[in-house]
Amino acid sequence: MVVTLKIDGKEVRAKEGMTILEAAKKVGIEIPTLCYHEGLEPYGVCRICSVEIERKGKVQVVAACCYPVEEGLNVVTNSPRINKLRKVILELAAASAGEGVSGKMRALASEYGANLSRFRPLLSDIEPTRCILCGLCVRRCVEANWDAAIGFIGRGVNRRIVIFPEKETLCLTCRYCRDVCPTGRACPSYGPNPPFPTVDDVIAGRA
Amino acid sequence: MLGSIKRVNSPEDLDKIAQEVKERETQYKAIISFCTSTGCVACGAKKVLEELRNEIKKRGLEKEIYIKETGCLGMCEGGPRLLIYPGEIPYFRIKPEDASEIVSSIVEGRVVEKLLYRDGATGEAYRTLHEIPFYKYQLRLLLANNAKIDARSIEDYIAVGGYKALAKALFQMTPEEIIEEVKKSNLRGRGGAGFPTGIKWETTRNAPGEPKYVIVNCDQGDPGAYMDRAVVEGNPHSVLEGLIIGAYAIGAKEGFVYIREEYPLATERMLIAIKQAEEYGLVGENIMGSGFSFKVTVYRGAGAFVSGESSALMTAIEGKVGEPRPKYIHTAVKGIWDKPSCLNNTKTWATIPLIILNGAEWFRNIGTEGSSGTMIFSLVGKVNNTGLVEVPMGITLRDLIFKIGGGISGGKKFKAVQTGGPSGGFIPEQYLDTPVDFDELTKLGSMMGSGGMVVMDEDSCMVDAARYFVDFLLGESCGKCIPCREGLRVLSRILNRICEGQGVEEDIQTIEEISEVMRDASLCALGRTAVNPVLTSLRYFGDEWIQHIREKRCPAKVCKNLISYYIDPNECQACLLCLRECPTGAIKGDKDQIHWIEQEKCIKCGTCYQICRFNAVKKLSGEPIPPPPIGMKPIRRGKEVR
Amino acid sequence: MLLTCAHCGYKWDYRGECEYYATCPRCRYKVKIPEDKIEQLRTERGVGGMVGGMLEKRPVKLLGVAGVVNRVVEEYQYEKSKLIQILLKLQRNFGWLSKEMLIEVSKQLNVPLNQVYHVATFYKAFSLVPRGRHLIRVCMGTSCKVRGAPLLLDRTKSLLGIEEDETSPDGRFTLTTVNCLGCCAIGPIISVDGDYYEHVRVEDVKRILSKYQ
Repeated sequence: MVVTLKIDGKEVRAKEGMTILEAAKKVGIEIPTLCYHEGLEPYGVCRICSVEIERKGKVQVVAACCYPVEEGLNVVTNSPRINKLRKVILELAAASAGEGVSGKMRALASEYGANLSRFRPLLSDIEPTRCILCGLCVRRCVEANWDAAIGFIGRGVNRRIVIFPEKETLCLTCRYCRDVCPTGRACPSYGPNPPFPTVDDVIAGRA
Repeated sequence: MLGSIKRVNSPEDLDKIAQEVKERETQYKAIISFCTSTGCVACGAKKVLEELRNEIKKRGLEKEIYIKETGCLGMCEGGPRLLIYPGEIPYFRIKPEDASEIVSSIVEGRVVEKLLYRDGATGEAYRTLHEIPFYKYQLRLLLANNAKIDARSIEDYIAVGGYKALAKALFQMTPEEIIEEVKKSNLRGRGGAGFPTGIKWETTRNAPGEPKYVIVNCDQGDPGAYMDRAVVEGNPHSVLEGLIIGAYAIGAKEGFVYIREEYPLATERMLIAIKQAEEYGLVGENIMGSGFSFKVTVYRGAGAFVSGESSALMTAIEGKVGEPRPKYIHTAVKGIWDKPSCLNNTKTWATIPLIILNGAEWFRNIGTEGSSGTMIFSLVGKVNNTGLVEVPMGITLRDLIFKIGGGISGGKKFKAVQTGGPSGGFIPEQYLDTPVDFDELTKLGSMMGSGGMVVMDEDSCMVDAARYFVDFLLGESCGKCIPCREGLRVLSRILNRICEGQGVEEDIQTIEEISEVMRDASLCALGRTAVNPVLTSLRYFGDEWIQHIREKRCPAKVCKNLISYYIDPNECQACLLCLRECPTGAIKGDKDQIHWIEQEKCIKCGTCYQICRFNAVKKLSGEPIPPPPIGMKPIRRGKEVR
Repeated sequence: MLLTCAHCGYKWDYRGECEYYATCPRCRYKVKIPEDKIEQLRTERGVGGMVGGMLEKRPVKLLGVAGVVNRVVEEYQYEKSKLIQILLKLQRNFGWLSKEMLIEVSKQLNVPLNQVYHVATFYKAFSLVPRGRHLIRVCMGTSCKVRGAPLLLDRTKSLLGIEEDETSPDGRFTLTTVNCLGCCAIGPIISVDGDYYEHVRVEDVKRILSKYQ
């Protein structure tokens, strides 16, 4: 079934089941993302792709990568509110990731005028991790290997990405996690192969 | 199974069981309803129960007096407690030594005066439960039967009319009629958001996909709220009955009950209830011979507040980590394993049998226009009568706290009431006359939430309270999305710095900016509502924040870095008690010399403040500390103050 | 563990559960297990710690970790959705979840290892390091906090000399906090091994802790 909706004033006809992000791409509107990858299921955690939608008279902010298209939706992808939101999200992410991020995140930061050092003084006792826990590396590994070599552990601010030594043999031929990282943490030239601490080290508090 | 009926095959069998229970009970001279809920057990109820049983056995009165182990009877501060029928005589704060006198009083037909509830102001003693002001103003619909049911006996529940609603639903109504009835009653979810239950049921029923599921959310994560525990420990069958009726209406064949790990007794009683209902054919295959089959499993949580969120709970039942998912497609359409799933709070399910039996009109007439029915609040904190209160919606906060709660304890002044747990906010004195209802509380910036109501007095610091909630949510956030995880981390740092006296002027603006982002962009309701405590605290108690930031002073004398402990030389009796208990040895002095605190060693643990029997230890904030009175002799008062 | 019967002099390798008395197989006399040997008995049994006094029903040495995990997984009918329930049972039995246990669960339940690890580290009820003999839980819910629970926590920390989530050096206690035990009206609450203490004041903490050896 085909639905019609408006994105930034442009009329779009999209198939039911598509997300706003995909529908926008059809008409050439690029909504910025950090944790989105075409080949993987949308995760919806970076919230950079937040857009304003209007339905039944109410304005809401939703993540474009997850929200399914609806008939008669009115979407705004660029407004002062949304731009400020993206700027502050980048600044918050840099609080623990540090200013030394590269790749997609740095490009977005300069586009939205985010001061990546804004909240660093508050968290000065924490080593910058260069990781925003977008999960692209984990999701890539799971999709390629089911019983993945890397994964999340912990909850909240203790959430980390670790590698399981038992599965490390998978990494000998695979480099998927390095190709998708948006901050340059898991990039081809950084750190050991693979670039994650082992689960035993993290649980024992050594890393 | 105690009587002649082995399995319920028709509604008439229920009547027969009820009849047998009533006949059995009339044989006894007195029946004691003794609360063995987790709270009362913590107060030593098991020992009292043992003594009572021994006493009855000693006198050979087993055929005259029967003890029922029930769930929560309310007014938990007075535990261990019991009720004696006939007469509904309430006894509070019972000790094992009182057992003998209680049994004697039953035999002799009199009342044990010293165990009755006495009004704090007038000293009047109340001989029946419903005369006590705490109970008089309540309308106990869900909790009323707690006193009449032994929580491990399904027959008791049937005797008070249990499972009749199920019989009516299965044999006299169609699923569509049941959903219509629930919609007409305007029952709104008691879990927090207040979504109309009838509409949720209808959505689930009409959603494409099989099989459908129904879920009970008993993961009461809100600290300070424990009514779900009381409902499940006291009357688990009411929840089960509601669940089966809901399953029939929606067309679900399987259901789950998710109970949090911190409630072991509730899990045990729910498992016993399900087993007994299965034996009677009230759950499982071919219920009551109607042809409808329904299976229910109990799932235990493992200690995560965020898993109480509906999509997170469903993910946890799937065996994965209980993290929330984007809910743009409602879980009623795509829930567990992407199948239509209807999740409701324990209290919502427990209300369903009442609506089916008494009709939607009856329910609608209780409460306000927007919120029908009663709500169970957990009135805790600095009130005199703490415990669970069930009141019709629309009662004012003032009535709740002062009439039923008995006012602020210790004669102190009211400051704020915190409603709705970590997702709610603080409500100050000027709004005490607000009627309690879903929409009114949301207008004030707070929310109804699960019904937690924590009362704070002048000794509570509002900045510290906001910091507490942010720290709580920081530990409980799942950490998936950036706004919530990093936003809470940064907020926590800022608030901790303000409480330590290092706040700067821009902090308030930064807090508001981050709060706006969290509210708009977080993945789930935890992140979106995490800012409510901070924002309401800023809105209504802004001057306390200014004092913390500019004057480095804590008016309520709570924030450790901004206060100092000081022993008043005029009150100190040099008894050496605080000197011995001080963990760092910061208190100096001797047997006949005034004690004084060496400020550099003091870690502000508060031990001396709590221990001193003469109220000599004072807290100072923002004032210079007087020099220590070394070598001074104490002024003898002669009497202990506490 | 080698025990000698005081009555008839018989020596045998004791493998039972009880930590106080053993029954001599020859003369049925009750032999008291010497206190200094209890630690040895525990290490031989391979149990890392006992939460709430729960002892594993059969010694690990007989079945091995794989065998015990298999018993639990079988009880839950190899259902993947029961992962959390299985881990809860293992946690209760052993007092902690070792790496070996988690790998066994992943293998036998056919669930990816990263999922098992994520579940085991996400929830507060699980511990991936051995715990002390007694588990202290200080309730830090709103009602208990308003009544002074942080001061109780500080007191316990200073009495035992440990921080939150740590075990005391003599292996007696592990200190944790819990967010609401549901007894809010009678707070502040401290729970040790499932025994609840209500209306706890700062001076009561020492007395409560001394009950548990």
